[in-house]
Amino acid sequence: MKFIVSTSTLLHHLQTVAGVVVSKPVIPILETFLFDIKGGNLIVSASDLETSMTTSIKVEADEDVSIAVPSKLCMDILRTLPDQPITFSIETDSNSIEIHSGNGRYKLAGQPGADFPKIPEVESESSFSIKSEVLLNAIGKTVFATGNDELRLNLTGIYVELKNDNISFVATDANRLVRYARTDVAPGVETTFILPKKAANLLKSSLSDDDSTVKIDFNSSNAFFGFGDNTLVCRFIDERYPDYNAVIPKENPNTLLINRMEFLNSVKRISIVANKTTHQIRLKIAGSELTLSAEDFDASNEGLEKLSCDYTGEDIEIGFNSKFLMDMLNGMNTEMVKLELSTPNRAGVLLPQENEAGEDVLMLVMPMMLNNY
Amino acid sequence: MPARSIMHMDLDTFFVSVERLLDSRLEGKPILLGGTSDRGVVASCSYEARSFGVHSGMSMKMARQLCPEGIVIRGNSSNYMKYSAMVTDIIKESFPLYEKTSIDEFYVDLSGMDRFFGCLKMASESRKRIIKETGLPISFGLSQNKTVSKVATGEAKPNNQIKVDTGLEKAFLAPLSIKKIPMVGDKTYQLLSNLGVKQIRTLQQMQPEMLEKVLGKNGLLLWKKANGVDTSPVIPYTERKSISTERTFDRDTIDVAKLKGILTAMAENLAFQLRRGNKVCACVTVKVRYSDFNTYTLQAHIPYSSADHVLIPKVLELFDRLYNKRLLVRLIGVRLSSLVTGSYQMDLFSDNEELINLYQAMDKIRNRFGDRSVMRASGIQARSIGRGNPFTGDAAPLLANRRS
Repeated sequence: MKFIVSTSTLLHHLQTVAGVVVSKPVIPILETFLFDIKGGNLIVSASDLETSMTTSIKVEADEDVSIAVPSKLCMDILRTLPDQPITFSIETDSNSIEIHSGNGRYKLAGQPGADFPKIPEVESESSFSIKSEVLLNAIGKTVFATGNDELRLNLTGIYVELKNDNISFVATDANRLVRYARTDVAPGVETTFILPKKAANLLKSSLSDDDSTVKIDFNSSNAFFGFGDNTLVCRFIDERYPDYNAVIPKENPNTLLINRMEFLNSVKRISIVANKTTHQIRLKIAGSELTLSAEDFDASNEGLEKLSCDYTGEDIEIGFNSKFLMDMLNGMNTEMVKLELSTPNRAGVLLPQENEAGEDVLMLVMPMMLNNY
Repeated sequence: MPARSIMHMDLDTFFVSVERLLDSRLEGKPILLGGTSDRGVVASCSYEARSFGVHSGMSMKMARQLCPEGIVIRGNSSNYMKYSAMVTDIIKESFPLYEKTSIDEFYVDLSGMDRFFGCLKMASESRKRIIKETGLPISFGLSQNKTVSKVATGEAKPNNQIKVDTGLEKAFLAPLSIKKIPMVGDKTYQLLSNLGVKQIRTLQQMQPEMLEKVLGKNGLLLWKKANGVDTSPVIPYTERKSISTERTFDRDTIDVAKLKGILTAMAENLAFQLRRGNKVCACVTVKVRYSDFNTYTLQAHIPYSSADHVLIPKVLELFDRLYNKRLLVRLIGVRLSSLVTGSYQMDLFSDNEELINLYQAMDKIRNRFGDRSVMRASGIQARSIGRGNPFTGDAAPLLANRRS
């Protein structure tokens, strides 16, 4: 059987789902895309058993077929071809795929489509809708703070808390934490789940930044995200999320109000001379002056900058990982930010000076234990 | 590259020499310095004792049998540190580029000085100055690289000097035993002896490829050293790559509670050393030697840390996994490596302010009143674990028998 499709359209769709494919998967067929043609629609699926994505494209096809196509080879060919219509000829008996371009042909060995793992079907218990840009923003603001430690699996995803009339996204790697809440989204159900980092990153790269709608169906173990021509299915992380509310300090008598970009740029410069492994920098606030400093004893580099700021509270000296500070300051949008502190051994809380409508952002970072004697 | 001039200096029987300075009655007598119990090893011995067949690294029990009239001294490491610092000061004053490789050994790079004073003259003058000002005998070897100089120092001892002229390195090394090459330990010596290689001359004549087959990568390096080729530079300051502590028991033990207490004390002390040196570590190793001398180690990687409550449980966990033989234990040790300068990054869920404040308060007390002034009760039985600050830039005061 044959079907005709334009290289750029197909490549664009393949790139959307290609992020799911892992190199050296447990079963070899996961290195392929499933091409499923049904009534003039090409549905491409990719899966790593935990997370799966599908995307659909209108093609000119003469009959229905299902075949697994080697993902890397297929993408490499499409990427190097100029934009043109190409013909796929598929032989289901020999599982071969032949691609005909304007001046050539490529023959690839495929695998029977029936061997591709079945992607879970939507059997939703509940569902709600959210604007694409809102979800994109929420993931963008939180995913950087998720953990990578396989021993703390519960922290390797975004904790999503659904309430009747609001939704919050929480991410932490035990050293810093971000809580991003939306009060203008009403899921209408009360539940929680941990969205794996991989699925979050895939959504981040494929969601469009507009007010189109993302439909989310979920049950106790899976979620189904439908947006545009695409769907993403993922299994939740089946772990207990730590009680993050308990670690957010309630009383922070010292408040620093500072221009976000000035602060960020200073931290960036100072971190250049900080130790390359610990990224440790020192903030010293006295009166209305903030002194940032760092030293790398191993390479004998050091740096110091002074910034004027608006500060109320006792003088303080506190150590932070500059990478964390930069990530957090980058994640803010407002011109001015507030850094609330209590003592050098308690978490610092970063807040926007004023939350935008419908948003509630809180970022928290644990200090480094400085020894001053 | 123009020929370099590198001097290797080594204080002769350093510990013994220091003891003799403090007590002149020890002059001319066989002296055994080291652990005084039967389990102790000889850390240093005088030339008089060496004629009885005693050498450093030998067990004290055996040394006493070989040399019954030997005077056994326990030694005091703070005296040695003091004298070592005096010698270091003189070298620091005289030469800009030196490397202190252990408590009594130095490399000095004298390249280019030939144009002004003559390297040999400069070297002998500084040797005389050290002997005059500290009263300690010292030997040196001078040649164009570190290996040949070190071998030359060994040949020069006691209390003398040797210069190996450029171009004569091969001829100088040829008649010597392969044991004299710094790389060759007991194992390599045995291996090469079994192949009939005893003299450096034979090594020089061998094909480097053949040595590589026998010894792997080190074979090539050994061949180069045997031929007097060594391009390694004199490094003025070597960063500590790990800190460790270990303990040999007077009597082998199977008392797990006692072992765990000692491990706790060791880990606690090392964690304090890390914090005092403003370091964090990412690798923890536990070592167990059973009474049959089989030694096992187990290591684990952790996120960078210097906190007691991370390191102590890790050490105990590694010990639990390692100690599975139901045999008497002769030695246990803890080692922290992958060190980086920096502070401990606090954890949101497992740390709290009180804990961190507690560490800082304990560290303050220890800084004022000594390493062992405050500690966990479970480790209180473990004696003699606290030591000096390992991060002051000086090389570790390694005992002679543990030198590589």
